[in-house]
Amino acid sequence: MKRRSFVTSALSVAFLGGNARVALAQVAGAAPLLPGFAAGAGADNVLVVVQMAGGNDGLNTIVPYSDDAYHRVRPAIGIPSAAVLKLNDRIGFNPALKGLKELYAQGKLAIVQGVGYPNPNRSHFEATQIWETAAPDHPQQYGWLGRYLDRRYPAGAKPPSLFEAVSLGDTLPAALVASHVEVPAIGALGAFAYNAGRDLAEKQSAGILYDGAKAGQSPYLSMIASTARDAYHGGDVLRAETAVFTNKAVYPKDGFSAQLALAARMIGSTAGSKIVFVSIGSFDTHAGQRAQQDRLLGYLGDGLLAFYADLAAHGLDQKVMTMTFSEFGRRVTQNASNGTDHGTAMPLFVVGGGVKGGIYGDHPSLTDLDAGDLKYAIDFRSIYATVIEKWLGRDPAPVLGGAYPSIAFV
Amino acid sequence: MLPKIDTSTDPQVGYRPLGALDAQSALQPFAGSFGTRHAAHLLRRAGFGGSSAEIARFASGSMNDAVAALLHPAAPDVPLTEFPDPTALFDPKRSRATAQLWWLDRMLRTNRPLVEKMALFWHGHFATSLQKVPVQDMIGQIDLFRAQGLGRFPALLAAVTRDPAMLIWLDNRANAKAHPNENYAREVMELFALGLGNYSETDVKEAARAFTGWTIDRNGAAAFVPARHDDGPKTILGHNGDFGADDVVDIIVSQPVHQRFIAHKLLEFFVYSDPEPELIEQTAQVYALSGFDIAKTVGAILRSNVFYSTRAYRALPKSPIELAIGTLRFLGVSTIPANLPYQLARMGQEPLNPPSVKGWDGGPMWINTSTLLARFNFVNGLVAQTAPGKNGVAAVSAPNADPDDLVRRVGMDPSRVAAALVSGIVQDDVTSAVRATLIAYLENTTPSATMQSPLPFGPENYQEKIRGAVALTLNLPVNQLA
Repeated sequence: MKRRSFVTSALSVAFLGGNARVALAQVAGAAPLLPGFAAGAGADNVLVVVQMAGGNDGLNTIVPYSDDAYHRVRPAIGIPSAAVLKLNDRIGFNPALKGLKELYAQGKLAIVQGVGYPNPNRSHFEATQIWETAAPDHPQQYGWLGRYLDRRYPAGAKPPSLFEAVSLGDTLPAALVASHVEVPAIGALGAFAYNAGRDLAEKQSAGILYDGAKAGQSPYLSMIASTARDAYHGGDVLRAETAVFTNKAVYPKDGFSAQLALAARMIGSTAGSKIVFVSIGSFDTHAGQRAQQDRLLGYLGDGLLAFYADLAAHGLDQKVMTMTFSEFGRRVTQNASNGTDHGTAMPLFVVGGGVKGGIYGDHPSLTDLDAGDLKYAIDFRSIYATVIEKWLGRDPAPVLGGAYPSIAFV
Repeated sequence: MLPKIDTSTDPQVGYRPLGALDAQSALQPFAGSFGTRHAAHLLRRAGFGGSSAEIARFASGSMNDAVAALLHPAAPDVPLTEFPDPTALFDPKRSRATAQLWWLDRMLRTNRPLVEKMALFWHGHFATSLQKVPVQDMIGQIDLFRAQGLGRFPALLAAVTRDPAMLIWLDNRANAKAHPNENYAREVMELFALGLGNYSETDVKEAARAFTGWTIDRNGAAAFVPARHDDGPKTILGHNGDFGADDVVDIIVSQPVHQRFIAHKLLEFFVYSDPEPELIEQTAQVYALSGFDIAKTVGAILRSNVFYSTRAYRALPKSPIELAIGTLRFLGVSTIPANLPYQLARMGQEPLNPPSVKGWDGGPMWINTSTLLARFNFVNGLVAQTAPGKNGVAAVSAPNADPDDLVRRVGMDPSRVAAALVSGIVQDDVTSAVRATLIAYLENTTPSATMQSPLPFGPENYQEKIRGAVALTLNLPVNQLA
């Protein structure tokens, strides 16, 4: 259960580079790859998870523009049929999602419709916990990605890189809480560093103190000392590794795209990130929904389009899958403030060169409702199961605590 | 129905201190000599650490006096109205950040550190969050923990059952005979009093029926509405009767497994991780014999041989709040930095916002590269703000770590400065190599350091050098341990 140190000395940059990585990737005890992955195909696939925080309104994301009921329940905030970026004769994208429409045209985008779970929770906090720990019935200590990582690297085995899984935010989301696999939260490259003052000797002395720290009677002392060494040197390692990767696409100037540009550097450089969590918000559009949601959806679509152009320029677009989620969709009927309140099922997106583009599941009915809310048809754990089994090549049942049918987007 | 997920990977396993427990004498009162390191240890565990002066004051008396002063403080608490900025910043009802600052300020300036420490313990135990509960109800719950956190557990649990924050947090306000809600009953058994595996699903359902009727009235106050209560017969943990909420509490505390559950949690918080079954059993007996009295149980722990043993000494990682408040107390800072809640979030413990109903996992889960960097950079930033600015006034006043004061006391002598710092901050719990590194830093002779024109330690640089050495000492791995 003790975490092992990644960085053993100031020579860590060299230690972590090159062949050492390959050797470390073959540590004994790791959960086995499923057949079909063992040969190497897909064995180092990357997953990027995009949290659309606040509860994204699905009906104004994938718009059922030909359904009269849609225009009836959304008289003020409904999107006119003429403005919809049409996917077929029934549904189309919000006009702000032209980036996703382009990815769809490239065959890189899967739209999974009507996603939810039984007895949906409408609290932001609790619903987020449910999605991130994949546990609608009872809170769980570790996140779904944390449990995947703990089984991928059982106690004693360590990931090949300190940055195997990262959250590109200031704090760790519940999804990435693991029992023993180290998952750094990196809000910005500059923040993941020992930041002492202008007296350089102070920072260097800290390194000497951490490198020379001794064990004690409490196992915590050696654990803290080794983690301090990782933390102290890790920032320098990360900056050195990501410095050799140049983003080859022009990203939009918003914070979400900044996270994606950093994600590309962490995936494409020797930092070697395999699980990356990014977040965009707030989709909690109780009032004045159109302006706010459209702006955020524009960031989402344009950012992902740039991200995949960048990855393609580096030959990585086939290796990286991106999936979105949000804690809930919103009510079918608009409210009195030209917004929508907390609801239930919604569509989510899966992007990547390895994704079978298309539309999965039917758009939920706007007339066959559950107390005014959309009925879900696809359990979100089916999407997790598909990603873990078909993309990451591991058995999803122990991670998710049960078997869920996979969906054909991989 | 989703199958139960295996969460048996207990993060505490493996962090029991090396060496063997002396079970015969573990809970016997400590009779050894009570010195500076003992006093500092007691203040870290039963409070939020202390300045050198506070530690010296505790060390000048007996262990029994020190523990008694913590358990039964003679002086009244610092009045609620006595705040540095009683207007916007510390109005707890105004916003979530001010509520967090309000409580952190209590921890910093209280003269009853154990009362505040127990409030923090129960906040982690009955983990309730601002994410769902209004600010004033969160404050009310912390006040409840402050008032009753050292009382009898049955009274505390009964009070928590009718606490508005808890009624909202775990939905018991919606629990009625016509539509039972099991959320609170389940967590009482799993998280608050018994632990997983020590009750059945039927026990949860029956206890939920007993908790029906407690709800929130239109003024936001707790209220018992008889018409919503299910007054029929119930069977809970083998007992039969027309039970109500307080009967469930009495049934639960009579379970030996509950006594071990509370003993285990107190030992993990005050003594060390993964305590031995014999130690849990002995502590559970103290708890049961005391009539489920937390003050008596905690008092027995704080006076015990095992508490002052080398195995318990520096055997727990400081929580982020312990680290932050302890740092401020050591430095003598009298005002909570306004961004401390945000910094604590980065360290992994934002007060009033635990990550889930399970609270903070603690132990090894406090420590990872990101949270350690957040700790180090909190200290570095804070110490940097104690330097005089353009107008000669420091942004943060830290009288206990004033370089001029230190030089007056020990002279312009790097060895004596380093000695004073490792004594004051970590009670000399360092190797000679650490001392040598600090002295080299002060003297500007750090090996491999790249400096243009290194000055020897002296009038031109002693202030900056001492501040740097303070930060380095505060950021030592050993100072991450309580």
